[in-house]
Amino acid sequence: MTVETDKIVLRVAEVMIEELKLEDVTADTFDPEVDLVDEVGIDSMDLATVALVLQDEYGIRIDEDDYPKLTTVRRIADYIQNKLNE
Amino acid sequence: MYVSDESRSSAGEKSIEKSQKKWKFSEILSDPAVKERWEKVRKYFFLRESTYDVTGRCNIRCEGCYYYEGEKQFAEENRDPEAWRSLMKAEKERGITFVVLAGAEPALVPELCRVCYEEMPLGTIASNGLKQIPADTGYKIHISVWGNDSSSLRVRGADNMLIRQIRNYKDDPRAVFVYTFTRQNMDEIHEVMEILAAENCKVTFNMFSAPVGYSGYLRHTPESLLYCRETMLSLLRKYPDHLLYSPYNAVAHTHRLGLHDLYGCSYPRMNPSTDLGLGRSFRQYRSDLGWDRAAACCVPDTDCPDCRHYASGSAVVTARLFRHADDPLRFRSWLDYTDTYLAVWVMGYEKGENLCEEPIAPPGQDAA
Repeated sequence: MTVETDKIVLRVAEVMIEELKLEDVTADTFDPEVDLVDEVGIDSMDLATVALVLQDEYGIRIDEDDYPKLTTVRRIADYIQNKLNE
Repeated sequence: MYVSDESRSSAGEKSIEKSQKKWKFSEILSDPAVKERWEKVRKYFFLRESTYDVTGRCNIRCEGCYYYEGEKQFAEENRDPEAWRSLMKAEKERGITFVVLAGAEPALVPELCRVCYEEMPLGTIASNGLKQIPADTGYKIHISVWGNDSSSLRVRGADNMLIRQIRNYKDDPRAVFVYTFTRQNMDEIHEVMEILAAENCKVTFNMFSAPVGYSGYLRHTPESLLYCRETMLSLLRKYPDHLLYSPYNAVAHTHRLGLHDLYGCSYPRMNPSTDLGLGRSFRQYRSDLGWDRAAACCVPDTDCPDCRHYASGSAVVTARLFRHADDPLRFRSWLDYTDTYLAVWVMGYEKGENLCEEPIAPPGQDAA
């Protein structure tokens, strides 16, 4: 994992907490491997909201068809990193 | 008056022209009115619905009724309130937060409606409005109207239907009168709307969507769809205080393409994915408390290509947030649609003024 990916993981966690108003967790304590659907309880509307914010921030396009792959903060960060490397 | 093909294509081109710039979501939200409405509607993203046929009985029999199509009508009723209570508890555990009670006619089993409400406080009941549901069941109540009393007598076999519905639900904050446009009753809306507005009733619109195999005279044609749209838009201007609707609702539900072709239906019947959203959580329970994923949608036994149901759109259009966030007017239209949906379906939610007064094309389509 690169330093850059670490920063993205942290930022994705921050966006997740801010946009979904998650309580009792900070970006530093957010487990990047936790399943966002099964364990955090986010749904398609939540994911769409987060995707729109991250798209703006990183200047990438997150395809709706890719949502099912974005099940953890780590996977979202890797997805962003790959898009940035394209 | 029917709208010509020529005006259809010019409306489509106009909308497509507007979509050339690539907008950032933050730019779209920089408008304070948009931002305020976004913050208002997103508080309800926690809603996760399922639907429940609470009884197989009805006090009337309507032509083209969805309940009496397919297999669900033969399910043996479970009339045990405690069985329903257990189901609601299990549904809550599963993450469901919103119930839609349908039927045949839920007003015939008020004790089951009450138990559901006690366990799951957010929901809507679909009723014909001829029997009052007790006030201690605090769900929204959608009262189906299929034309004036003459049409209701012919299609539904019930006398003085509108007067009886109004008598039961006038001044009831739970009530929304749902006028279903068929090919035969499009002009009757004017007299019905005048009566309902005079009685200070809230109204929204539905489009008749043919059950599988139905080819009767209620089924819409391309011409009748456009005529309905023009009628809806003119009524929106005339009755802004009584109609819960928006120009984008009119576009989405009268487009030549049905909801599935326009947006991709997210209900399990047409959506095999179980990863997220309705495909993962939605169930349509029959009156025996069973359910079948292959048949699960908001109005089972509808002919999917013809589906323009208000209930379907309320889930299918609102779920397409991402696709509508590509253009300020389209996003405003989506906000209007979502605001309308919440006002129609959720007790205590008040609709705001529409943010977009012109008919905007759905994502990737023309407006017609």
